[in-house]
Amino acid sequence: MIACLVIPGFELRAALRSRPRLALEPVALAPEPGREPLLGPVTAAAEAVGVRAGMRLGEALATCPELVLVEQDPAAVERDWEGVLRRLEDAGFAVETVDPGVVVFETGGVERLYGGVEAALVKALASVGSAWDPRAGAGQRRFVALAAASVARPGQAVIVEGKEEQGFLEPLPLSLLPLPSNRYAELEGLGVRRLGELASLPGGAVEERLGPEGKRAWSLARGGERRRVRGRSPAAELAEALSFPEAVANELTLRRAFGVLLDRLLARPERAGRPLRKVAVSAKLVGGGSWRRTATLREATAERGRLRAALGPKLLELPAPVTELRLEVVELADHVGNQLALVPPEGAELDGRLREGLRQVRASTGTGSVCTVVEVAPWSRIPEARALVVPRDL
Amino acid sequence: MTSTVSRAHAHTRAAAGRLNVPRPALVEAAVDGTPTVVNREVVTVVREEWRVVDRWWTDDPVDRRYFEVVLESGRNVCVYRDRDRGCWFTQRA
Repeated sequence: MIACLVIPGFELRAALRSRPRLALEPVALAPEPGREPLLGPVTAAAEAVGVRAGMRLGEALATCPELVLVEQDPAAVERDWEGVLRRLEDAGFAVETVDPGVVVFETGGVERLYGGVEAALVKALASVGSAWDPRAGAGQRRFVALAAASVARPGQAVIVEGKEEQGFLEPLPLSLLPLPSNRYAELEGLGVRRLGELASLPGGAVEERLGPEGKRAWSLARGGERRRVRGRSPAAELAEALSFPEAVANELTLRRAFGVLLDRLLARPERAGRPLRKVAVSAKLVGGGSWRRTATLREATAERGRLRAALGPKLLELPAPVTELRLEVVELADHVGNQLALVPPEGAELDGRLREGLRQVRASTGTGSVCTVVEVAPWSRIPEARALVVPRDL
Repeated sequence: MTSTVSRAHAHTRAAAGRLNVPRPALVEAAVDGTPTVVNREVVTVVREEWRVVDRWWTDDPVDRRYFEVVLESGRNVCVYRDRDRGCWFTQRA
């Protein structure tokens, strides 16, 4: 069977880990800077006074003036979620992340170990820990497992057998479907409020009215497709961090710190000569929040210069001064070295490769993007009169 | 011969762009004209100073006072004051 484990409002729970006292007060996750001012997950105390996740910030503050807004903490989310996944993996589950707070896994491999599906789910819940209020569900299909976990109470596991799927899904609300909020309103306007009501409509008519996302929702309302779970490859445990005695915003200092972290990371013996495939740079911000960016390299590398070029510009996106900078290897490549040419290319072959490279650059960035610098008056005392950039058309 | 050269030059100018074009800079200067703040960064050292006066015989004369300075972040920057226009620019000299 496919099992799903859900931790509702995971981002907010992770952000509140450092401030547990706030968990009992009306608190909401603040919107991301520059995005639409909509609230993230909210605490039970906030829900009790009428504040809902997805509510407009102004409306929420008018409803509950004492509402506390907690800044997003993506680094804490990443760290805590990795901890949850590792505990599940330690218990023998091959996990696949859907979103932070939602994970699916197959129970087939561990059912005999733990004595059945239910015992396996109980083990999964116990390995995550009751502090996160996890819920589990299992079914023959992913969406059924997700729906079962969504209706379960904290610490409970709901198992839906194959023949009970339709009967189980029918009375559930449409909010389980991944649809934009205006689509829910549209469906409610048409009198469709339950998954069963949507599933009973003709698929073609739903697609015509709601488009491809409506068709997908209709398919999910009927249980969704049968797709196997692909367990993730075990994550690399390579990270280096540097704490600053006082908050730093200077680009040069940050770049130097980044260079030091990169050197330390590349020198780690656990890497065993393997190049880096995916790298993340994160920072603790002076206001208490955090910041994180990841870069997946097209070609795995352990070259310092290329890694600096890929990740260095991301430091410019830092929204505030930082108190700690962290560099982490998310994924290492499996191979140790690259196959090099026996005879280095030269002459006509090298020219041909260069032309091909330039042709590709021009194809991707447009004409006029490849230029040659032509010295016209190198002796001139006026710097801008010494050379010209001339488009190069090969 | 002359017409061929001028045609070729005209063609080049239509497609080519200048390299190292000066960029406007925000500079605060002392009474003697030396920069103290460049693009909101304090100047720690003025390493060199020179003047460029050229093309005075044309309609577009050049009269610049260049300063090579080190900012507090450690960056080396070259700035000049255009004496005709009264504006500051940065440029790699």
